[in-house]
Amino acid sequence: MSTSTPNARGRRSPLGTATPSGDTTLTGLQRLPIHTRYPLTPSRLVTAVTPGTQRSASRYTPRARGAGAPATPYGLRARQQRAANTPGRDRRRSGRIQRETTFDILRNLGRALAPISQPIRSSPQDKPEPVEEPIDEFEQLDNEPEIERPRLSLPIQEPEEEGEEASPEIQPPRMSLAFAEEDMDITYRSVEYPRDASIRDRDRLSMMSRATGRISGDFDETRLESDDADETGIVGEDDEAEDTMISGGDFDRGGETEDLGRFHFDLNFPSPAAAPLEDPTGEDMNDMEEFELSTAEPPPAPSDDDDDDDVGGDFGFGLDFPPATSPSESPGIVGGGLRDEATPAQGKQKKISRHGIPIPNFPAGVVKKLATRFARSGAGSKAKINKATLAAIEQASSWYFEQASQDLAAYSRHAGRKTIDESDVTTLLRRQRHINNSTTVFSLAQKHLPKELQQDMRLAMPP
Amino acid sequence: MATQKLYPRGTVKRIVKAHSNRSVSKNADILIFLDYMLFMQELMREASIRSRKSGEKNISANTVRKVTEKTLRKFQG
Repeated sequence: MSTSTPNARGRRSPLGTATPSGDTTLTGLQRLPIHTRYPLTPSRLVTAVTPGTQRSASRYTPRARGAGAPATPYGLRARQQRAANTPGRDRRRSGRIQRETTFDILRNLGRALAPISQPIRSSPQDKPEPVEEPIDEFEQLDNEPEIERPRLSLPIQEPEEEGEEASPEIQPPRMSLAFAEEDMDITYRSVEYPRDASIRDRDRLSMMSRATGRISGDFDETRLESDDADETGIVGEDDEAEDTMISGGDFDRGGETEDLGRFHFDLNFPSPAAAPLEDPTGEDMNDMEEFELSTAEPPPAPSDDDDDDDVGGDFGFGLDFPPATSPSESPGIVGGGLRDEATPAQGKQKKISRHGIPIPNFPAGVVKKLATRFARSGAGSKAKINKATLAAIEQASSWYFEQASQDLAAYSRHAGRKTIDESDVTTLLRRQRHINNSTTVFSLAQKHLPKELQQDMRLAMPP
Repeated sequence: MATQKLYPRGTVKRIVKAHSNRSVSKNADILIFLDYMLFMQELMREASIRSRKSGEKNISANTVRKVTEKTLRKFQG
């Protein structure tokens, strides 16, 4: 509508120059039939809004027929037949263009008379004095002479008394642990938690140390191989002692090396003994210690042997030396020797759990499939996973299984069961905050698991 | 996914059994594997975030290793 009005004015302006301003209405009215002829003029818009077209807007209209001509002769015939069957439709529309309602006439008249008229707006109401009065009060308050500033510091003499008075009111901060210990309902969760966490931390740390130690080597290697690598290449603290020993052997020739050897063996004893001293807190930790020791200990025993052999080969009294060292060694590093024997057994493809049960390998294909799936969903595009990454992920998932099954075992033990039940896993999931009030196990399963497994799960645990 | 086997159920059972020295009830391994899937999702999410932060194109083994501890800690019950 608004577009049409300036257009009308533009057209009227040449006429307006010729005729006095009173004639403008006439010209405007003369213009009306012209408008009806143009397809873009308001009259068309008006006809589009008329109730007749509104009622049958979805139905086919003569104009629509002109727009979408039938593509096939069948369509054409169908339309002709339909038109023949219902002649009233078109007949009713026939006078459509000529017909003008009084509303249209009035509207056109209005456009001609007042091309630029604004819709009536309510004038802005003044919000006067009732607001101002409180402001005045505030200003008065503000204008009042300032109150003396309070001293922010405390008087010197009194604080002790005040402190004594105040102290009983302030409650001593209570630790969450203490609270948990009082409440028997929560105990089995929260009291155990820190102890577990400490153990777990050590566990994890040992894992991590293993991992960091292994970064240089390949993950696929068995443990035996990694130990070998340790012997040859990276030796820990014991290296220094051996170095000194070798240097000593180099410097003085003769029987004195024997003494040196003894001396060094004395030195070597504390180092394996010290390792268990560092974290002897829990007796349950024996397994952990084994775990750590297997990395820390094995180097000294074989490397000592090597060094001794070298020394013997250099100086010629090798026959005397090795027999002398081996008995002296054996009492000291019994543990290390045993571990050394244990590690090759672990290293054979299948690892052995702390309970002495061989752990089957989780198939790499499944790990890779899951990894690619989740990596893709995270990164958006296809994420490639190379071999080293896959190895790291497999390592992580084996750790995960170890951790999860230890947790599950703890839950089932607590419940006095001998089998790990569905409820244990549910507890685990809840403690991992995967299940809460809004998400259930079933919704999680629906998200991630195929239908068959969901059915099995539903059978196992009715809601 | 639905057509082929998602994971070997027996293996999961045996792994958990070996670690915990307890038998696993008939269908508990499904839930365990569900949790494992959640773990993998979290792990890969963290790894991809970290690798993107450091500007790598693909997820490298080192990134996974760095993220592993954090994620495992998140998943301890």
